[in-house]
Amino acid sequence: MKRLFLLPLLLASAGTAQAQQPTPTATVIAVPPLTSPNSGSKGNEMLAIGWQAAELIGADLRQTAELMPLPTSRNEYYSYPEVTAPSFSKWRANGAKALVTGFVQSRSDGRLTVGCYVYDLEKGRELMRKGFVISPSDWRRAAHKCSGLAYTAITGAPGIFDTRIVYVAESGVGDARTKRIAIMDSDGGGHRYLTGPEAMVLTPRLAPKSEQLAYVSFMGGAPHVRIRDLDGANDRPLLQQGTMSFAPRYSPDGRTIVVSVSLNGNTDLYAVSSAGGPSRRLSTAPGIDTAASFSPDGSKIVFESDRGGSQQLYVMNADGSGQRRISFGGGWYASPQWSPDGEWIAFTRRGQDGRRIGIMKPDGTGERLLTRGTADEGPAWAASSREIIFQHANASGRPGLYRVTLDGSEPRQVTIPQDGSDPDWSGVAE
Amino acid sequence: MRTILSLIALTLLGSAAQAQLRVPFINRQPAQPAVQGIDALRLEFATQSGGSTIYFGTESSTLGAPARAVLSAQAAWLRRHPEVVVRIEGYGDGGDTRDHALAMGARRAEEARNFLLLLGVPSAQVTATSWGKERPGLGRAVTILVR
Repeated sequence: MKRLFLLPLLLASAGTAQAQQPTPTATVIAVPPLTSPNSGSKGNEMLAIGWQAAELIGADLRQTAELMPLPTSRNEYYSYPEVTAPSFSKWRANGAKALVTGFVQSRSDGRLTVGCYVYDLEKGRELMRKGFVISPSDWRRAAHKCSGLAYTAITGAPGIFDTRIVYVAESGVGDARTKRIAIMDSDGGGHRYLTGPEAMVLTPRLAPKSEQLAYVSFMGGAPHVRIRDLDGANDRPLLQQGTMSFAPRYSPDGRTIVVSVSLNGNTDLYAVSSAGGPSRRLSTAPGIDTAASFSPDGSKIVFESDRGGSQQLYVMNADGSGQRRISFGGGWYASPQWSPDGEWIAFTRRGQDGRRIGIMKPDGTGERLLTRGTADEGPAWAASSREIIFQHANASGRPGLYRVTLDGSEPRQVTIPQDGSDPDWSGVAE
Repeated sequence: MRTILSLIALTLLGSAAQAQLRVPFINRQPAQPAVQGIDALRLEFATQSGGSTIYFGTESSTLGAPARAVLSAQAAWLRRHPEVVVRIEGYGDGGDTRDHALAMGARRAEEARNFLLLLGVPSAQVTATSWGKERPGLGRAVTILVR
């Protein structure tokens, strides 16, 4: 019986590997090891960090659809002056169209200066440069920022390498299943749990600067939105106790949280100050209005409503006025999120073929499905607006996290220590 | 049945507020510990009301004839036991999305609650809440004796 299962599994993994091959349009970029102005044993220490940083930059850029990094080679060390005066023809000969150089310098205060430079090899000119002063243990973050610099210099979009993913970690079976909030770097590093197994939690949503978190907790019985600092301090209910509330999302300025409140079986949207205080009702239609998400300029809100008989997407002004339906593609539409660049709305479509993730323009045109389902939901945008993280349950019903880019390539599974659901992706921290 | 039993256990381990509210009940029946008392009531409720669980069609919060029959029996029993407080826990559908399932569970629980109130059960005797799609099983509403 076991042998029968092997074949489809092998085929599936082969298909995935194929999908990960770079597209011909990707920009080939050379990422030689970062150099150092230091000499002696300190210099060797810095070169070791520079080597690891270049490997991490390569790994970061390999995750993208737009860039194709050449493997970092130990034969490619260059001198400190060459950081700002690289040999363009040498790198061009390797087939690269772009180049990242940089250095790691030990400072007298024990910290490090990391410098990064991105070059267009065809035009033979510098595109961007950036320097960071960091503690030695933060070299990974500096490398992620270099990756972001290279990505932005070549694509024009924000890099997402120094971002975090928050999600619900699930373990156990049936009624004994526990759900905890976990957070990690977007490359899977620094994984940790933010809540314990005592209370069931859902839909963690990061504030724009990631200093605060809104989520749904069943603590005390009924589901309700709570907010807390990321370090765990100031955990409190957002609304008066006894109010059933869920589906929180922050406004782009972080001052407002839009939530759904269920009262006497009817669910409407409310805008609440994230500092606490009075709430403002945004929708009054009979039916379920939920899953609201702000446009990046804060002027509009997209949400789902079944007021017309089935779940559909609606857009309204942030004060609740001007509500109009935007989804007309057939099937049911749910859990919309507005992209950070304002261009797209990601959604879950429910149809005959199960639940799939897709995108459409804010006016409802240009609809495109990105996943095959059949049990996908909860899309959340990367800061680049070019990639979406979502929840996909496999054939046995166990949920995991997947990333998919807008270019039509296969979704890739995100490695986490257990099952996972309800992902949210942070913005880029300065 | 296992679902219902584990939910009862949760209720008994519940908040301080519930523990405080149970005190007068214990005082009225000093010979019987509270757990035995409510267990006995739960058994009586389950047998005399035709069950604690009602089922809904997919994406529906409409009460079908079987659901109304169960709720009618529950209402009759609750009117005979005005000292008992129940909580109706609504469940969404597994194929639904997270937020909509929570709202659907709330809507189903409220439909069941409104039906009980229509049949003369005082509103203070019945509360409603939702589990969304967080517990496996069919779309349903379960009436739980709280105290």
